[in-house]
Amino acid sequence: MMNTEAKTHSIDIASMQRDNRTLDLASEEHTLKVNNLKLYYGDNEALHGIDMVIPKNRVTAFIGPSGCGKSTLLRCFNRMNDLVDGCRIEGEILLDEKNIYDRAVEVAELRRRVGMVFQKPNPFPKTIYENVAYGLRIQGINKKRVLDETVEWALKSAALWDEVKDRLHESALGMSGGQQQRLVIARTIAVKPEVLLLDEPASALDPISTLKIEELIHELKNDFTIAIVTHNMQQAARVSDYTAFMYMGDLIEFGVTDTLFTNPSQKQTEDYITGRYG
Amino acid sequence: MRVSFTEWTKSGSPWVWLNAGAVAICMIMVIGLLSLIAVRGLGHFWPADLVQAKYTENGNTMVMAGEIVEQEMVPAAQLRDAGVNVPAGMDFMQRDLVKVGNRDVGGSDFIWVLDAFMSERNQPDMMFAAERREWGNFYGYLRGLKENGKLVASYKGYQKTDEYMALWNNFQARIERTLDIHDQISDIEKGTIGAINYKLERLRLKQRSLELKGVTDQSRYAEIDDRRVELNAEYQALQQTLLDLYEGFNRDTLVAETAAGQTIEISLGKVVRAFLPNNMSLGDKVGHYVSKIWEFMSDEPREANTEGGIFPAIFGTVMMVMLMSVMVTPFGVVAAVYLREYAKQGFVTRLIRIAVNNLAGVPSIVYGVFGLGFFVYFLGGNIDDLFFPEAKPAPTFGTPGLMWASLTLALLTVPVVIVATEEGLSRIPRSVREGSLALGATKFETLWKVVLPMASPAMMTGVILAIARAAGEVAPLMLVGVVKLAPSLPLDLNYPFLHLDQKFMHLGFHIYDVGFQSPNVEAARPLVYATALLLVAVIALLNLSAIAIRNHLREKYKALEM
Repeated sequence: MMNTEAKTHSIDIASMQRDNRTLDLASEEHTLKVNNLKLYYGDNEALHGIDMVIPKNRVTAFIGPSGCGKSTLLRCFNRMNDLVDGCRIEGEILLDEKNIYDRAVEVAELRRRVGMVFQKPNPFPKTIYENVAYGLRIQGINKKRVLDETVEWALKSAALWDEVKDRLHESALGMSGGQQQRLVIARTIAVKPEVLLLDEPASALDPISTLKIEELIHELKNDFTIAIVTHNMQQAARVSDYTAFMYMGDLIEFGVTDTLFTNPSQKQTEDYITGRYG
Repeated sequence: MRVSFTEWTKSGSPWVWLNAGAVAICMIMVIGLLSLIAVRGLGHFWPADLVQAKYTENGNTMVMAGEIVEQEMVPAAQLRDAGVNVPAGMDFMQRDLVKVGNRDVGGSDFIWVLDAFMSERNQPDMMFAAERREWGNFYGYLRGLKENGKLVASYKGYQKTDEYMALWNNFQARIERTLDIHDQISDIEKGTIGAINYKLERLRLKQRSLELKGVTDQSRYAEIDDRRVELNAEYQALQQTLLDLYEGFNRDTLVAETAAGQTIEISLGKVVRAFLPNNMSLGDKVGHYVSKIWEFMSDEPREANTEGGIFPAIFGTVMMVMLMSVMVTPFGVVAAVYLREYAKQGFVTRLIRIAVNNLAGVPSIVYGVFGLGFFVYFLGGNIDDLFFPEAKPAPTFGTPGLMWASLTLALLTVPVVIVATEEGLSRIPRSVREGSLALGATKFETLWKVVLPMASPAMMTGVILAIARAAGEVAPLMLVGVVKLAPSLPLDLNYPFLHLDQKFMHLGFHIYDVGFQSPNVEAARPLVYATALLLVAVIALLNLSAIAIRNHLREKYKALEM
């Protein structure tokens, strides 16, 4: 009885023709390393000592029920939580063996290395071209040739070039939601970050746009280390190499995606992926 | 079908009626106000018919002529008390206000007459009206023209004949010529000589400042003297030209007969325009009307502001409002950005916000007093001590002027801009800021490149409100820079072109001055309405242009659908 129920709800990894069964966390190069990270909103502890690594040039997915702290953790990687009043952090996150919460770290520089795409598309009220060029202009790059090349490269990498190449100088606000989200991804990769954080990037999009974004993630992992938060377990299974399951501010289980979905080691993980709560 | 009252109340229609009624009343009041000032103000420029009549009151008879300006009913009893011999059986009598002009002849140019006592009323074709530079209008018949004191043409009759028309055309041609000379004279006097005087004054100040600095190098003084001699020579040459021009200007004289039969002579130099109101076709009247309105908007005032135009006041108002906007916008925006983006939100910021909101409610005259005490006397006085010691004891900035007026009004309106900008900043979605920060922009870069442009329509809203408040303000201006007659515009061709230390004229103050401080109330009243209409138009125009800019910005930075 129990078995059948599990079967009906679980993710059919085999049908997705994935090939990450051979992955092994121990043999990966690490981009980010999280050591006993605790985060407080005022007196409320939202993350209770997270320890994990984000492997280089892989896609790491964070899943878990609402309010489990997966977005909060993701926002720790580029110090977006600094903007939240009353937010305090203990522990450390190492990027290239250096703690990003060190006093000496310049936040703007960190965020250039660790880019982020948000849940809802947030293009600036500027032209498509200027949106993509924004990060470069911030860095003081104003040579037209460099900008042109980078904008084209970023839009091509974000699979958007063919759709917008004739209207680069029109407002980005006239694009569809899916296009806007790919534009935001293009904008983020235009500054060539090392890590790309995606916070539920497809949750506000229709299925076709979602598919495009997922394909894009596949393409991008060759060049970038990607961490993605998603509500959609199918999506996590489709796009990620490693998956972290979080619950109530704790990291319950972290491992190779196929293993986590087919043979979870924790009872809570199994309950969640078989749909018993969440 | 009858609907019960409770049913009707429940349906909600009473509220719809109430709201619609309130809106309708507001509309009616606004339209009524505008049409009142429009009709009263614009009607003034239409050439009124001249009426000539015999007027008999208490046995005295006189012939008078003029425009009937106003009519009213007075109780006969009141007239009897005043000693007027009113026929029995009348309760009310109509009384007319007649503009008889000829102030130099009769003493006053408006008289009240009883309509019933006028007889032999007619509208003589050939009676002309002349607008003059002094003594108001003249009404009468043209009798002749003199050149250098010698009669060159004359006519005796009262009927329209070819001979009379020839004299009239001769007269018009001579007015034209005199006006041309007048233009040349005022060009030289105001333009060239004004510039020379300005340069001489600057030389004097330069010399004085050299003396104050204790410079002993005589060559520098000699330089100034040389320049002064040059300017004086230029001035002398111009004086000669002026003398010649004046001779031509005063060459012609007109001889005219008033309705009462008195003959007087008027120099053509005093005449601005002459016309035959009763002999004008509709086309002529429209032409006259348009040229009068143009004169009103483009000319300088004459005769204690009761005649001529109000261009300096329009110019001063617009100039002051623009300067005010230029000063208030950065002030308000910077304050709002600090309050909203940088300051730690808490008790102090709340206190500041309350203070800012209360500042908006402080009576404007208080700002005027503050402007006079702080800006004019303290700041201006110190600026004079530091930068303009050579002009002392005459104050440069230590006296009311355009800059202090603009600054005082900027202070008066800064709360509006702060509140509007803060509102705008708070409406920028967090996600856009985060998007920018996530790309490696600092907080300042995010503000400068993304947030402020997106908040610019809100800032413009603040500026619009500020303009609306400032343009109509009069009370503080009376203390910090407005005068009833400014000799020159604050913007001209003399370096440094924009004279922030000068006093200026303002439409709002002009209304007050013309309406309530004028020696000739009757003549001034229509101008009050016309000026009021113009003030409303100028403010509307300023607002509309600000609104156009805002809408353009809004279109550009269309708020994200979030």
